[in-house]
Amino acid sequence: MVQDMALLVQYVVVGLAVGSLYALVALGIVLLYRTSRILNFAHGDLATFGTFIAFALLTAWRWPFAAASLGSLLTTAVVGAAFFFLVIRPAKESTLLGKIVITLGLALVLQGATVILWGTGTKILPFPLSDIKVYRLGQVVVSQISVGSFAVGLALMGALYVLVQHTRVGLAMRAVSQDTVAAQVLGIPVKQIFALTWGLASALGAAAGILLAPATLLDPYMMLDPFLKGFAAAVLGGIDSMPGAAVGGLLLGVLEALFGGYVSVKFKTTLAFLIIIAVLVVRPEGLLGREYKRRV
Amino acid sequence: MRLARIGVILSLLVLAATATVAQPQERGVTDTEIVIGSSQPLSGPAAFWGQGVGGGMDAYLKVINDQGGINGRKIRLILRDDGYLPPRAVANVRELVERERVFAIVSLIGSANTFAVRDYVIENQLLWITPTADANMWAGFKDKKYLFVAYPGYVDEGRILTVYGARQMGAKSVAVFYQNDLYGQKGLVGVKRGVAEARIKLATAVSYEVTDRDVSAHALKLRQSGADTVILYALPTAGALIVREMAKIGYTPKLLSSFTLADPIMFQLAGEAWNGVTLTAFFPVPGTDAKVDAMLETLIKTNPQLRASPFNALAGVAFLEPFVEALRRTGPNVTKDGVVRAFESLRNWDGEVIRGVTFGANRRQGINRIYIVRSEGGQYKKLTDWIEYPVGF
Repeated sequence: MVQDMALLVQYVVVGLAVGSLYALVALGIVLLYRTSRILNFAHGDLATFGTFIAFALLTAWRWPFAAASLGSLLTTAVVGAAFFFLVIRPAKESTLLGKIVITLGLALVLQGATVILWGTGTKILPFPLSDIKVYRLGQVVVSQISVGSFAVGLALMGALYVLVQHTRVGLAMRAVSQDTVAAQVLGIPVKQIFALTWGLASALGAAAGILLAPATLLDPYMMLDPFLKGFAAAVLGGIDSMPGAAVGGLLLGVLEALFGGYVSVKFKTTLAFLIIIAVLVVRPEGLLGREYKRRV
Repeated sequence: MRLARIGVILSLLVLAATATVAQPQERGVTDTEIVIGSSQPLSGPAAFWGQGVGGGMDAYLKVINDQGGINGRKIRLILRDDGYLPPRAVANVRELVERERVFAIVSLIGSANTFAVRDYVIENQLLWITPTADANMWAGFKDKKYLFVAYPGYVDEGRILTVYGARQMGAKSVAVFYQNDLYGQKGLVGVKRGVAEARIKLATAVSYEVTDRDVSAHALKLRQSGADTVILYALPTAGALIVREMAKIGYTPKLLSSFTLADPIMFQLAGEAWNGVTLTAFFPVPGTDAKVDAMLETLIKTNPQLRASPFNALAGVAFLEPFVEALRRTGPNVTKDGVVRAFESLRNWDGEVIRGVTFGANRRQGINRIYIVRSEGGQYKKLTDWIEYPVGF
């Protein structure tokens, strides 16, 4: 009985650790979607690109980890914002679907660039925390790296929350997301806000990539699965809701771990997609989203 | 109208005449070169295999061509990327055959990919040298005249590995971590046979998907089974991830693995946890054989990037060597049937890398032996002599 309980807790712990990273990915997707209604299919590849930047800064340039991470986030943010200015904005006449297709193109370009610059081989991102060092709480085992990435993930979510809810920039972002024309009339620099959102979302992706790399190893395709899971988490939580993305990510992580543990590890990957279907059928706005109610 | 018809007939005749003039030889063979093709995972989850094997084949052929080629002809390899996806492998092979008109297909990584192109290649009566896939799939398969396989079967390998684990390492209860496709499933079949033969217990079999990046629940599942030994049939990335995940939750069983994870890159990817892993080998691993080490040096001199994947690069050479030897024996008049006869004349033939290759009129399985190695401090140590298994086809 005690053992069963410990096992359950262990699955939940494992699920939370990976779920916090899904949440980070989901937040990047949601942040951009709320503001611009664009579903960014390049999010995963932006994240991978950012992680490789961190890898280059750490190994070739020998920067300390914190500096390299910061450098990576900034570079990825600049790439994201530049993409907005150079491609998305000039294509403003295109439909929403057209813009989404453009992000698919960006995904291919970024993946190609990553392969050309760093090759297709699997690499190890030097990480300051150990994944072999573990803490034991009774029969439940948690690795140092899981605790660390969970904490950093939560901290980043908290920081984003403060930024969006309690700063003038955040207010402007929310205003733009609710009504772009009205925001423009009120003197909000909409163009800059869009660019900032692209940058911020991209940086969030890079952060998720850096935190995921020790768990997934680093190669140009590392974000394929986490991106899909992040997307599922965003749909689950409500693709219009930032708290929803966070909750959705954590919930998906835990559900996946429990499903793998108690139902079928073979169909664990399928679960995320079943969840997307179920949510869209039963509650299309997601757990915490309000989108459809408001607009009807 | 009539004139036009005559014109068409005439031009067709001219075309037919030039076609026969332009093709006095086998397709893919000219006076100066022999064109061969391969589809490999140069990108995607198995890129590490494809880059190593593809790079090794390319470097080896460069060395041969620099020495003047074979009987005056250079060998040109056309390498296509399939991203480890069976549909892309099919498209690649069709392109190689129908557009590039290659003389032979060499290797082609992935049991699922090989399975996907199998019927097409066999129906088109193409020479196919060592599909890098479970060799057991060919047993009982008809029309293998143009197929030559010098690669082990995962069923044979899994059985031998499991029996070794039980008898020499005291394994009582084994768990399998396997890829949910033909590669992993065949490995699992082998392990099941080994478990039955050695009368031990199969605690659990946990599968993963090629795209999976989070294997934490898989690791817990393995630990929960209480197995004292875990056998891996996985991609290098997935293999490294599961070993790290098991270490993360404090689960440290004995580890056995297919030779597919024999590249020293595993020491980097899996770290400390890769020490003491017991694997099989189908050619002498680097560091245990002078000829193999010399070949590796030559490969690295030709392409320094191969230093990162020595075992896989050498495997690429091993896949080509019997073919190169068969071409040599065929002589200057290269025909498909001539090469088949030359292949069939190989008896216990040793290359620089692959050893003991035998083909025959009714034998298409070129090798039927492996041996056991153990990983120690970035190197592999030989533990046994060759262990033979029955020739299946």
